[in-house]
Amino acid sequence: MVPTSWYLALSGILFAIGAVGVLTRRTAILIFLSVELMLNAANLSLVAFARAWGDLSAQTAVFVVMTLAAAEVSIGLGIIVAIFRKRASTNVDDLTNLRG
Amino acid sequence: MTFAFILMALLALGGALATISLRNAVHAALALVATLLSVAILYFTLSAQFLGIIQIIVYAGAIMVLFLFVIMLLNAAQPITQADPIPWVRALGVSGGVAIAAALVVLAVKFQDPRPLAAAEPALRGGLPGPIGEVLFTRFLLPFEAVSVLLLVAVVGAVALVQRDPSVDLEETSPGPLPEPVMPPEPLPGRPPARTRVKGGA
Repeated sequence: MVPTSWYLALSGILFAIGAVGVLTRRTAILIFLSVELMLNAANLSLVAFARAWGDLSAQTAVFVVMTLAAAEVSIGLGIIVAIFRKRASTNVDDLTNLRG
Repeated sequence: MTFAFILMALLALGGALATISLRNAVHAALALVATLLSVAILYFTLSAQFLGIIQIIVYAGAIMVLFLFVIMLLNAAQPITQADPIPWVRALGVSGGVAIAAALVVLAVKFQDPRPLAAAEPALRGGLPGPIGEVLFTRFLLPFEAVSVLLLVAVVGAVALVQRDPSVDLEETSPGPLPEPVMPPEPLPGRPPARTRVKGGA
């Protein structure tokens, strides 16, 4: 049986890859894709912990996180579409109006 | 089991790297689908069958279709070609990511299973919908109801965000076809021409 630490290491690497995507990508939609990757990495570690303790609570938490991700995607893509209508661009470098 | 884990882990890592490095947005989204499907199979190996199915249906199905739809709607598949305003941000981001990965992997390797896995796994009862539902509707009933409110808020918010401004809509559409003199120039009896009515009425 594969030990829990292997799953946790995979989850950590996936999370870091997602973080790199958020930091280096310049299209708003691709930044969102990277955020989804980070959420999935966190979910994977939760499921691995659920098996380690033999407790279904963590799997329930993953269920809630998935619902949260769906809500976040619908709102986030709505914001991106609304910005695209006003600015005709999804490049985050163009959206510097709030710079202080 | 170990072979399946290694295969799926390599697929997930390859898909994730392709997601953050491919230049075409549609290709990046499809690479993320590969990662999501391999994570779903990893859920099956962790005896979380219900979550694996939900991962395929909700993530790889619904959410990614939404992403691809928006990418094609906004015609955002083409990469950005203009120069990066901060040229060193890429190197900084990659080095930060390597640091995060190293820290998390060190923490993960230190983790010891609190009890033998063969003893802990039967308590999950395969992660089937029945056992998950028992926990969800007893211990976690309040989060479940809160999530339903969250989904309602998300639906209302998404509709409100993409709705066109009604005042802008009127200005754009109403003066368009009205004043064009398609009809013969003589006005109908008892009715002023459309052009003067629009000018004088406002």
